[in-house]
Amino acid sequence: MILQSLKIALESLWANKMRSFLSMLGIIIGVGAVIAIVSVGTGSTQQITSRIANLGSNMITIYPRTPRGQGGTVSSGSSQEKFSLELTEYMEKFCPSIIKVIPVKQVSGRLISDDINVNATILGTNIDYAEVNNYEVDMGNFINEDDNLERRQVIVLGSQLAEDLFEDDNPIGKKIKLNYENHAYMFEIIGLMKEKGSTIGGNLDDQAYIPLSVAMDKLTNSDYVTSYIAQAASTEKASTAVSELENFMVKFLDDEDQEQFRVISQDEILDTVSSVTGTMSMMLGGIAAISLLVGGIGIMNIMLVSVTERTREIGVRKALGARNIHILFQFLMESLNLSSFGGLLGIGFGWITAYFLSRYGDWPMVIAPLSVGLAFGFALFIGIFFGLYPAMKAAKMNPVDALRYE
Amino acid sequence: MSKLIQIEQLEKIYHLGKVKVEALRGVSFEINTGDFVSIMGPSGSGKSTLMHIIGCLDYPTGGKYFLSGQDVSKLNDNQLALFRNQKIGFVFQEFNLLPKATILRNVELPLTYNNTHSKNKKQLAVQALEKVGLGDRLKHRPNEISGGQKQRVAIARALVNHPSIILADEPTGNLDSKTGQDIMKMIEKLHDKGNTIILVTHEPEIAQYSQRIIHLKDGLIDKDEVIA
Repeated sequence: MILQSLKIALESLWANKMRSFLSMLGIIIGVGAVIAIVSVGTGSTQQITSRIANLGSNMITIYPRTPRGQGGTVSSGSSQEKFSLELTEYMEKFCPSIIKVIPVKQVSGRLISDDINVNATILGTNIDYAEVNNYEVDMGNFINEDDNLERRQVIVLGSQLAEDLFEDDNPIGKKIKLNYENHAYMFEIIGLMKEKGSTIGGNLDDQAYIPLSVAMDKLTNSDYVTSYIAQAASTEKASTAVSELENFMVKFLDDEDQEQFRVISQDEILDTVSSVTGTMSMMLGGIAAISLLVGGIGIMNIMLVSVTERTREIGVRKALGARNIHILFQFLMESLNLSSFGGLLGIGFGWITAYFLSRYGDWPMVIAPLSVGLAFGFALFIGIFFGLYPAMKAAKMNPVDALRYE
Repeated sequence: MSKLIQIEQLEKIYHLGKVKVEALRGVSFEINTGDFVSIMGPSGSGKSTLMHIIGCLDYPTGGKYFLSGQDVSKLNDNQLALFRNQKIGFVFQEFNLLPKATILRNVELPLTYNNTHSKNKKQLAVQALEKVGLGDRLKHRPNEISGGQKQRVAIARALVNHPSIILADEPTGNLDSKTGQDIMKMIEKLHDKGNTIILVTHEPEIAQYSQRIIHLKDGLIDKDEVIA
């Protein structure tokens, strides 16, 4: 009987091709939108994620926290004054998931070259910094070990900074003045970095890099660094490394509540980003699902018109021996056919849309089978749900009245 | 002659809002297998209502209706549908063909509702169409054939299930007189082959084709005459 109803339904849909297509349109667009939006969401998330992962391999940053005073008294000593250089060795020793720890001393100063001057963040660090950050030299060299040992006043410029100061000229070998706390220091430019963009350490392109020893001994005359950058052995070990570091710092600083330091990993940022994009795609998917619902209402509307229009046909079918359930199935099949066929076309439509959007946005094209299944399943459900009322209306018709209907 | 239809004190009362319409007020008659009976009467006489009840499309509100010994007034909707399918062949004034379906599909329609195998279905439908002389028009649609041909398709559709009764409601009402006569001759021929025919009409000339005329007036039998 179901097969029979399917055949009858297909015949009558085929007889009204244009109308069938138009009533399918809502479902086509709805299903297509769900698939395309979810695909765009996943694709762009993957793109962002891979870009972030590109910024630095398995990087973990350890910052001091601003100390909090208890009540009216200022807390005893800033934790910053415990971030010593020797700590890097201890970290490397006690945290097996960490390959390397790089101390960073960050200062703000004014760089002056001829008549141009720029405020810049200056990082005192060592050769490993570039490696851990996947940061490549465009011209010249990065800070090396000798520079640090001999406290050479050499500087490496980020790409944006170099452009601001020298435009397109080659700055290698030039002298530049750094004004820091009313003292002027002359630096020789030894390197220029490639463009990199933002990382968890800020925008690298706007920064300049000098030997750590110069920053600590000459500029600030301090024994303590600003932060550490640690590199985990692998991406899989990053979270272990974070907890190792936290345990180490808790013990070292005797700081059970982790009030004096903060460990931030790339993972954490990835989580934030993906939760943001996740929320976005959920929201857009929700909107698409609503359009699917509207498509369903469109189908119901058409089915109701169709039932009224075919009252006479229903009467004839009943006179010839159709039972109520035959009529019910016939109309239910029609709406189910509309929604399932619309759903199939929608999958194709969504696929094509997703393909072009991914080409346009330059992210990988990802069609999640779950989104396809969900959108199609929802379309079928809508076909049944919104088809049921018109079909019941048709099935319940009194044959005498239906035959008399003009 | 076996009794095909027994109708005893049949009543049908409609309630249209507060108005009570007594369409049938106690009608009794019998029809035997192989009879050709006309039901005549002016509009409002109750002949349509009577036809609907005989055709198992509607329930009486009082009295009894036996079809092949079965008390139809006790059947439920599904059993009525089965009776309509198996025992009644309808021929309507407005033909009532499905406009978008081919003639073949139209004639197959009653078979669709009793699970006839699709191979037999086509065969039976073609046979029925050949009987009415339309074996060469299978793939045409109703709007491509004349009124007389439409009514012949309707007759083929009525015959396809080999029903106990052919129930024709003003079968010539939408046809010119020449075509109407052709249709009546065809119905007469069906009767000659042993089919039981009940004809509902208000035209005396059409009623003349039958053997017996039941005249209805105001919901009651006015006259029941045997004419042949």
